[in-house]
Amino acid sequence: MQGVLGAFHELDAAVSAIEALKKDRLGAIRVFTPTPRHELEEAITAPPSSVRRFTLIGGLLGVTFGYWIAIWVSDYWPLVVGGKPIASWVPYTIFGFEVMVLIGGLSTVLGLLINSRVPRLTMMVGYDPRFSHGDYGVWVECPPDKVRTAETLLKEHGAVEVRRER
Amino acid sequence: MATITRPVPPKNEPRRPNIASASVQLPAVRDYEQVDREIVGTLHPTVAWFIGLGIAVFFLLIGIGTWMYQIYSGLGVAGYNPPVMWGVYIITFVFWIGIGHAGTLISAILYLFRAGFRTTIYRCAEAMTVFAVMTAALFPILHLGRPWKFFWLIPYPNWRYIWPQFKSPLVWDVFAILTYFTISSTFLFIGLIPDVAVLRDRENISPIRKRIFSVLSLGWRNTDNEWRHFARAYLFLAALSTPLVLSVHSVVSFDFAMALTPGWHTTIFPPYFVAGAIFSGMGMVFTIIIPLRKWWGLKHYVTINHLDAAAKLCLFTSLIVGCAYMTEWFVAWFSGNEVEQSFFANRIWGQWWWASAILYTCNMVLPLSLFSQRLRRSPTWLFLLSFTVNIGMWFERFVIVVPSLSHEFEPWQWTSYRPTWVDYGILCGSFGWFAMWFMLFIKQLPVIAISEVKEIVPPKLRTAHPHGIDPAGRHFEYEADTPGEYA
Repeated sequence: MQGVLGAFHELDAAVSAIEALKKDRLGAIRVFTPTPRHELEEAITAPPSSVRRFTLIGGLLGVTFGYWIAIWVSDYWPLVVGGKPIASWVPYTIFGFEVMVLIGGLSTVLGLLINSRVPRLTMMVGYDPRFSHGDYGVWVECPPDKVRTAETLLKEHGAVEVRRER
Repeated sequence: MATITRPVPPKNEPRRPNIASASVQLPAVRDYEQVDREIVGTLHPTVAWFIGLGIAVFFLLIGIGTWMYQIYSGLGVAGYNPPVMWGVYIITFVFWIGIGHAGTLISAILYLFRAGFRTTIYRCAEAMTVFAVMTAALFPILHLGRPWKFFWLIPYPNWRYIWPQFKSPLVWDVFAILTYFTISSTFLFIGLIPDVAVLRDRENISPIRKRIFSVLSLGWRNTDNEWRHFARAYLFLAALSTPLVLSVHSVVSFDFAMALTPGWHTTIFPPYFVAGAIFSGMGMVFTIIIPLRKWWGLKHYVTINHLDAAAKLCLFTSLIVGCAYMTEWFVAWFSGNEVEQSFFANRIWGQWWWASAILYTCNMVLPLSLFSQRLRRSPTWLFLLSFTVNIGMWFERFVIVVPSLSHEFEPWQWTSYRPTWVDYGILCGSFGWFAMWFMLFIKQLPVIAISEVKEIVPPKLRTAHPHGIDPAGRHFEYEADTPGEYA
C-alpha cells in the first residue's frame, strides 16, 4: 500500500482537496479528522454504516433468548401454584426486553469494532498524532506514476505538509 | 455530529442571554488546540485532589470497618426491628440506583433529542452513573448475613434446591441492573475511545501511560470510516439505552409495587420512581459539576446556560415527583381503603411526620425556586439546592420503605425503626466508595468529552464561514461580557 498524505490546518481546504482528488480519480481516499464533520462526510460520500444490522440481529437474538430462558427454566424447575401458569409471558416480557437491550447493545459494539477494524495493534500507514488534536489528514492511495500528481493537487489545495508513505 | 456552529447574534440584534440556542455555544473556546490544552490540563493531580481522595478513602475505610464488624456480629447490629426487615441498606440501594439514572438520561435521551447543553456535562454524568450503580450493587451483598454466599442470589438453575423464580420482582431486578450496568459502562467506554486517543497522541507523555492509553484507545486513528461507524453505533446505543433508563427504575419500583403492603401496592410507582431517579441524578450532577467547573477553571465550557438548561430539567422532574406525591394522597383517600388511609395518616401526621416533612420540603417546595431565572443561573444556589435534593431523595426512599413496613395491616405488628451506627457507617462507606472511584476517574480520563466539544467549536477555515466565523475560527461578534456566559 503506497500513497500520499496531505495534512491540512483548515477544514474547507481538506474538503476541496478531497473533491479534487475524487474528480481526478487518483485512488482510494481516507480522511483523518479530530472530530466527525458532515462536510467531510458529504465530500467522501461513503455508504451507510452496516452497524445497524448488528444491532437488529443482536436485538432479535436477545429478545428470543430472554423469553426462551425464562420459559425453559420455568418448565424444567416448575413452581406449581394453583390457578397460575407455569410459564407466564407477561412477566417474562421483562426478561425479553432486558436481554434484547443487553445483547443488542453488545452486538452494536461488536459491529463498531468489526466495521472500524479496531482494535489494532499498530498504527496504519499515513496516521499522524496531529490528526487527533486539530489537523485534518487526507490520504490517497495511488500507484507510483500518479504520486506526483497527487502531491501537486494536495499542495494546491492548501496542504501544510505533503509526504509519500508506504 | 455538528456541522453548523451558531454564532453569537450581531450587535444590531437584541441580546438574549438565556435562549436555547445559546446553550450550545462555547464562545470563549476558540479552537481545537485550546480544547485539548484546557481539558487535558485538568488531569494533572493537585494537592487538593489528593486531600479529596484521602477523605473519600477515609469514609470508605469507615464503611469497610463497619461491615467487618457486622459480619462478625451478625445482621442484628444493623437496626432491623421486625417486621421492618428492610432499612437503610435497601433505602441506600434505591438511592444510588436513582443517582445512576441522570447519567444515561443526559448521555442518551438528551443525545437523541439533540439537546446541546448535554455536551459538556454528559461525560461527568455517565461516569457518575457507572460508579453509582457499582455502589448500589454492594448493598444486596452488604445485606447478607453470609456475604461470601452472594452467588446464591444469581438466578441460575442449580442443584442447591434454590430454584429460580422468574416471576419474582427481585429476579427482574437482577437482570435489569446487570443490563443497565453493562450498557452504561459500554456507553461510557465507547464515548471515551476518541478522547483516549487524544491522550495517547500527546507529546511529553510517559511510555507507560502511552502504552496504557494505546490499549484503551484500541488503536483508534480518527479515520472517516471509524467515525462513520462510531456515530451510528453511538446513536443505536443511545436508542437502546433510552428505554433501558425508563425500565430499570420501573423494575426497581416493582420490588415494592408487587407487594400488597400499604403504600407500596400502587400502579403509580414506575413513573414516580423514574422521575424521582432522574431528579435525584440531576441533583448529584450539580453537586459534582459545579465545584469541578470552578476548581478547574472550566466555566467557559460548562456555562451558565448549560446549568440553566439542566436546572429546568431538574425543575420539570421535581414537578412530576410532586404530582406523584399528591396523587398518592388522592389515591389513598379516594380508594376508601381504611388500611391505606391509616398508613398515609401515620406517614404524614403520625410517627414519621418529620421524615415526610423533610421529603416534601426538599423535593417539592425548594425546587420551585428554580422557576426564578436568577436562581437557575446562580451556581451557588444550584449547588446548595443539589444537597437538599440529595437529602430529600434519600428520605423519599426512607419514607417509602420504613413507614410501610412499620405500619402494615395488623395493629399488633406496628412498630418503629431506628438505624444504628452500623447503618450510618455503611452509608458513609458507600459515599466514600463512590467518591473514591470518581476522584480516580477525573484525574485519569477527561471529564469533559474532548471530541464532542470539538464538534461545537468552529473549525479553522481558509475563507469566512457563512455563519459568522472568521478564518481563524473566531466568532465575528463576540463580547467577553456576554451576560451569563461567565459566572
